[in-house]
Amino acid sequence: MFTSFIKALANLFKKPQTIDYPVTPIAKDKEYRGLIEYGEESCIYCLKCEHACPPGAILFVPVENPSTNEKNKKGLAYNYNPYLCIYCGECVRACPKPEEALWQSNKKPDVAVKSDNVNSGWFELEKQHKEQL
Amino acid sequence: MKKTINIPLGSQHISLLEPVRFKFECENEKIIGVDADVGFVHRGVEKACTTSFKFDAIGYVVARVCGLCAITHSLTYTAAVEKLLGAQITSKAKYLRILLLELDRIHSHMLCLSHTCENAGFEAMFMRIMGDREHIMEIQELITGNRVQFDYISIGGVNRDLAPESVQKIKENLYIVKQKVQGYMDEFTNNWSLSLKFKGIGMLSLDDAYMYNAIGPLARASGLRIDVRNEIDYLPYHEVGYKMQTHTDGDINARNLVRLAELVNSIEMCENILNGLPEGDIFTKIKGKPQGEALMRFEAPRGELMYYIKGNGSAMLERVRIKTPTFSCIPAFSHIFLGGDYADAPAVLASFDPCMSCTAK
Amino acid sequence: MQKIEVSLENVRDEIKKFYDYKQWHFLTLNGLALADEKMEVQWIFSKYEAMDEIVIYYAVIDYNEIIPSVVDMIPSAIISQRELVDMFGVQVEGSEKGLYLDEDSQMSPLKGCSI
Repeated sequence: MFTSFIKALANLFKKPQTIDYPVTPIAKDKEYRGLIEYGEESCIYCLKCEHACPPGAILFVPVENPSTNEKNKKGLAYNYNPYLCIYCGECVRACPKPEEALWQSNKKPDVAVKSDNVNSGWFELEKQHKEQL
Repeated sequence: MKKTINIPLGSQHISLLEPVRFKFECENEKIIGVDADVGFVHRGVEKACTTSFKFDAIGYVVARVCGLCAITHSLTYTAAVEKLLGAQITSKAKYLRILLLELDRIHSHMLCLSHTCENAGFEAMFMRIMGDREHIMEIQELITGNRVQFDYISIGGVNRDLAPESVQKIKENLYIVKQKVQGYMDEFTNNWSLSLKFKGIGMLSLDDAYMYNAIGPLARASGLRIDVRNEIDYLPYHEVGYKMQTHTDGDINARNLVRLAELVNSIEMCENILNGLPEGDIFTKIKGKPQGEALMRFEAPRGELMYYIKGNGSAMLERVRIKTPTFSCIPAFSHIFLGGDYADAPAVLASFDPCMSCTAK
Repeated sequence: MQKIEVSLENVRDEIKKFYDYKQWHFLTLNGLALADEKMEVQWIFSKYEAMDEIVIYYAVIDYNEIIPSVVDMIPSAIISQRELVDMFGVQVEGSEKGLYLDEDSQMSPLKGCSI
């Protein structure tokens, strides 16, 4: 009885388990698995990342004015869908030039809004990708 | 005139968060008939694995079967594929796999214990255990880079190495949780809301456990010595200090005590692994396509998880059969309910620790 | 892993002779689609406290054959039998459709799936 009274008093002055979220930001680990980032200059367009990706979040689709990279013979452009990506890192492992062409950062994707056209824009790309095959 | 009444438990019920429905046929307060309906969230993962994904991506697909035992699912599948490809993985990768598997078990058991408390009306204990579970989630985030979907196991090893600076933090967190678990042991044996209330409720005798093929903590609480960790030599469990935990009572209290003892044992195993982690690579590149059939079992937090895969030498598999622990325990669950009071049903169900997203994969 | 072929007529006798419920743990019932409208049904057992000792009884059948039930010997087989009925559209004695699919569903998702 007495100990429970002391405990109850002590609990009044204890810090809460939760954090005051919008004011105090959530501590983010620097090793956090985040967005896949791409360096176009170093890419050799081997398409290994596209084949390795389990959900198919990386697509190389032909465009009208491709980059001036000399390895890009088919005139492809890199497309990445952060909302489909599961951040497993298989693409980075498959990449012959990791750290230069493709690497994993610890950034989070922005919240998608309607004007981003996440769904139908991506379905359009998937259709183009199928036609190219 | 009909003498019995039918009362459903679920699929939406305040004390049951899972999409499952038990139809109880009751005579006054006693349950005399049980019918279970588990197929509310069937997603066809087995079919997707053989039609839409190549074999090297399936490890990530099956991890989505269940959020709580994601590591066990992807590990069991990966181990089965490695068996077909004849691959050898390094010993460091094996130890890291055990570490993650045991962390999976710790946080899943803590979740189950907290729900048991909640169903006993002990909300404060529920909050405390869930708060302490955060330490384990932090460790998992530190190791794998994500809080829930870990994607840590890959064919040939594991995805990330253990950073030396995070080992200290992991040990500190494990030490805190170990102290807390000792405290729970005291609560679960001495506090009347959690011990006396649960004694003799939801009994499963040893003979019935054999008869109904019970697995996991449910069977071990009845004294049935079944634990896949004891029956496989694929991972070096006996080197890291694994001990089987059993109890003889077979009631809810015994299940809680078995889970607590397993928590202590798992934390010890994690500490042993961190202290004696061998040097070496974490990943070996493996080539080839799976051919033939393989069956692999692992001990998930809720019991035995089995994968049967069959490949024909191409990138697509012919069959992926997933047998999840809750699925094969459903006949035992239905048997335990018979003869019990209807008012006990939510507490009994929480003590089974059912995972419906596994069952209706 | 030991595989023993049986026919549908004698599968019950074979399992009755073999299955000692204190020694063998019934894992599950598994179906496997084969070529030419055939399928394989497997009854999988493992031994308690033994190092990976697994015995599989299997029978190759047509989709229209009726599979005998083993529920009287192994009560926990009922749930796997119902899953087999749903997934492959076969008939198992005493097991009705409706575990995962609707009771009147015409679909059988894994029938001939892998071929």
